[in-house]
Amino acid sequence: MSAYGEFETMIREQRYLIEGLTEMGYRVETHPEGAPLVGYHGDERPERAEVIIRRAQLDSASNDIGFVREKDGRFRAIVSEYDRSIGYDDKWLGRVHQHYKEKQTMAMAEAKGYIFRGKELVQTPNGPQIRLQFVAR
Amino acid sequence: MQQKTITVVIDETGNSSVDLEGFAGRGCEEVLKDFQGDDRAKVQRNKPMFYSQTSDPQSRQLKSGR
Repeated sequence: MSAYGEFETMIREQRYLIEGLTEMGYRVETHPEGAPLVGYHGDERPERAEVIIRRAQLDSASNDIGFVREKDGRFRAIVSEYDRSIGYDDKWLGRVHQHYKEKQTMAMAEAKGYIFRGKELVQTPNGPQIRLQFVAR
Repeated sequence: MQQKTITVVIDETGNSSVDLEGFAGRGCEEVLKDFQGDDRAKVQRNKPMFYSQTSDPQSRQLKSGR
């Protein structure tokens, strides 16, 4: 044994956010300059985002879900109250972070030469945990 | 030689824990940093082997009179 760390995931890299959302089954739009989110009436809302899940993929009364890049480089999710109430809540955002972190970790490990040894899904009362194992050269 | 293994657990909130085994010294810190990436550290600690391995080379040098 030699070291242990716990880390709070910060979504900063757009490509892994997109890969994670895609793996969750969403078709994602990307807008480098940001684009307006659309509300459930088809109305353009004042909020803009760089990464957007259009409402047609959600619920018939849903608004778009957006991810906007903040000044510190982190992405912040824009989710309406209604959409939070039907399941696009903190638990769902946790899954977004989970998929993001897995994609980001796998890409970093490959780029830096760590050898991937396997992935395991561990079921817990709060949801699945992802366990990845690597070996250093 | 002990294998250097890294176990990453990503919990249901998306936060991660990283457990290193078989590492020692600065190499250990670099690996932990790789897996931390841009994330904020909540807990970080070295385990016994880190200290035993890092102190060995110096103590060996002193004993041999270099």
